[in-house]
Amino acid sequence: MKESRAMPILPVEAYTSQEWFDKEQEIIFGNSWQFAGLVEDIQDPGDYITVQCGYQNLLVVKGRDQRLRAFHNLCRHRGTQLLRAVGKKQKALTCPYHDWTYDLSGQLVSVPQKETEFPNLELDQICLHKASVDIWRGMLWVHPNPDAESIARWFEGVQEHLGPHDPLRLVEYPDSRYEKLIKANWKIVAENFMDVYHLAHLHSNTLNMYDHSKAEYGFIGDHYVFWEPHAKKYGENLDKLMPFKRIAEMTDEYLGAFVPWLFPNFGLSETESSWSTFHAIPLSPQETKVIIRSKLEPMSNWEFTKQQWKSGMSWHGIMGGETKYGKKPDLSSEDPMDWNDFMEEDVYVCEQQQKSLKNPLFNVSRTAKNGESTVRNFQTIVKRWIEN
Amino acid sequence: MSGQFYKLQIVGLENPIETATSITLDVPTNLYQTFSFYPGQHIVLKLMIDGKEVRRSYSMNSCPYNDEALQVTVKRVENGLVSNYIGDNFRVGDSIEVMVPQGRFFANIDPHGYKTYFLFAAGSGITPIFSILKSVLYTSPQSTVNLFYGNANQDTIIFYDALADLESKYPDRLNIIHTLSNPKVWTTWTQWKGRKGRINAESVEHFITNHPPLAQNTEYYICGPGAMNNTVRETLINLGVPQDLIHVEQFGALDDESDEEGTIIDNANLTAKLDGKTFRLKIPKGKTILQVLKEENADPPYSCESGVCGTCRTKIVMGDVSMKVCLALDDDEIKSGMILACQARPLTEHIEIEY
Repeated sequence: MKESRAMPILPVEAYTSQEWFDKEQEIIFGNSWQFAGLVEDIQDPGDYITVQCGYQNLLVVKGRDQRLRAFHNLCRHRGTQLLRAVGKKQKALTCPYHDWTYDLSGQLVSVPQKETEFPNLELDQICLHKASVDIWRGMLWVHPNPDAESIARWFEGVQEHLGPHDPLRLVEYPDSRYEKLIKANWKIVAENFMDVYHLAHLHSNTLNMYDHSKAEYGFIGDHYVFWEPHAKKYGENLDKLMPFKRIAEMTDEYLGAFVPWLFPNFGLSETESSWSTFHAIPLSPQETKVIIRSKLEPMSNWEFTKQQWKSGMSWHGIMGGETKYGKKPDLSSEDPMDWNDFMEEDVYVCEQQQKSLKNPLFNVSRTAKNGESTVRNFQTIVKRWIEN
Repeated sequence: MSGQFYKLQIVGLENPIETATSITLDVPTNLYQTFSFYPGQHIVLKLMIDGKEVRRSYSMNSCPYNDEALQVTVKRVENGLVSNYIGDNFRVGDSIEVMVPQGRFFANIDPHGYKTYFLFAAGSGITPIFSILKSVLYTSPQSTVNLFYGNANQDTIIFYDALADLESKYPDRLNIIHTLSNPKVWTTWTQWKGRKGRINAESVEHFITNHPPLAQNTEYYICGPGAMNNTVRETLINLGVPQDLIHVEQFGALDDESDEEGTIIDNANLTAKLDGKTFRLKIPKGKTILQVLKEENADPPYSCESGVCGTCRTKIVMGDVSMKVCLALDDDEIKSGMILACQARPLTEHIEIEY
């Protein structure tokens, strides 16, 4: 019998095969609450967004009663996808194919040439397939099932381990939006996010503002929570070093970073001066799109510039400015390890690991007792979802 | 038993505003279970006034989920028989006859729930709404409450201070918008800086638009006079709120008869079939079908006389009636022709009912 190579809990195929990918899309992504954006993405009645939940595309639209409604984005006529991407102030939802039109509560309200072509059709009997939508922590969440368990229950116990940030109060800085196509399976990205062991090594010179030896982490149900304090010299010079204005709720007792991973594919990074979402969208067994959006304490342009300048001026002297390999950072280099950017370091190792998966010698022989227990736990959770 | 009365002692009387009396009742331990209630429900008081028995229902404004004693609040109505009797004559230590809590207007709150509550109250309609509001805040930590509360002027806002205290205690979970239809320009307080005007379609839409819900699981509770209830309900429905999320309670049942006075028929003809007998009677203006049958000694079934218990239900086979309070019947029953005799006043010249 062929020995199945393991990662170490899941088989290697879980990271390479289309069959596994399809199963995950159906079983995990089709049955869980998925991040759909920030509350601000849908401002006014008639505004909508669309979001992929596994193999099902959902649309979320705001009604005149200010409530959000989620529907499966397919016309009840011949199943055509109704809406694309995002839209503003729609009065109704119209299918491009034959102009079947639904109101904002999903009810079919008009069918062209109804008298001749559909004489017996009763409009009020036809409604878009419903899904679930809710707001949690300033974010939009959707679930393909209209009777899904409540978002509060899905995240029960997690809130207590997150930062004190009030995302609704913070302001998104559009320039901070980051999108990257990573050539690695989404679970490799997730595992990298949760790997505590690598922090002091891969990021020895890029995440040195934290004291990784004091990290506190664990799982609440299927969700991972993590907090670590500032390194001494960063904490002592916080006012000078922090890149943006301090977030009001981040009083001294919270200082550090809250970095949870919410099952299955969503991370947060909550620090003293920023609040960021990290959405890892599986595109194929070996491709994942990551979208990062950041919110900051409201501040004037001048405050923003001043703090950036202060941080930039002070950083080198206090924290050091060399790369992991003792070089001067060089953005023009072809080697991402020269860029001194922790995100690019992570992208690099994720892609390097994915490349090795087809190598017949590939195997994960050992994992760290503590710092990689998180990786094993995550794989165990995925395995349970797929097998149950 | 829904029709049963118990003697409860008044252990506290206070005036949240000059024209209203809050009555705190002592529920003995052995009646705790009997008098447990959902926030939004009410009790019926049975009083003897000038040798005549009268019954009135009042919503609890106390929260059933903490140590608060059972409390109702009665606002004086101009020329109102019962409300003024209560305001003038109730004394601490008195015992009064009280029917167990009931009513279909209530919130069943899930402590683990994640909900947004929209509450609408006008005048003394605040009483059940206040109970719901407190119950949500105390028992469902993830839920939030938005209250739109209308009054005539600064002096008639029942629970103003208590609401303000809660608002500062729960700044993230409670929003209150007051509106005054006729604010006093100068009072002992500073000039009114809040909203002016009635609770109407425009102000309800404004309120909804400015309070987008966080939790998308929403519920709407409305309590006020009939016209205000209809306005709020219709506005919500026009905005797209599903009907099953909207709960309405009418108050001021019998002391305030101005609303539909004009449409009630004077001296309508009543034909009632009851216990194998047929009664042909006139209904003088101001009387209900039940009152007319009682005066005729027809022995009709009844209990609460408040539109609550459903004992007096009967079927209308001809004509149409108006009912001030109709808590004992659901929409389907009303559609099928069921009425409550204790509330029914004629809207047509001929009324025929069958028990």
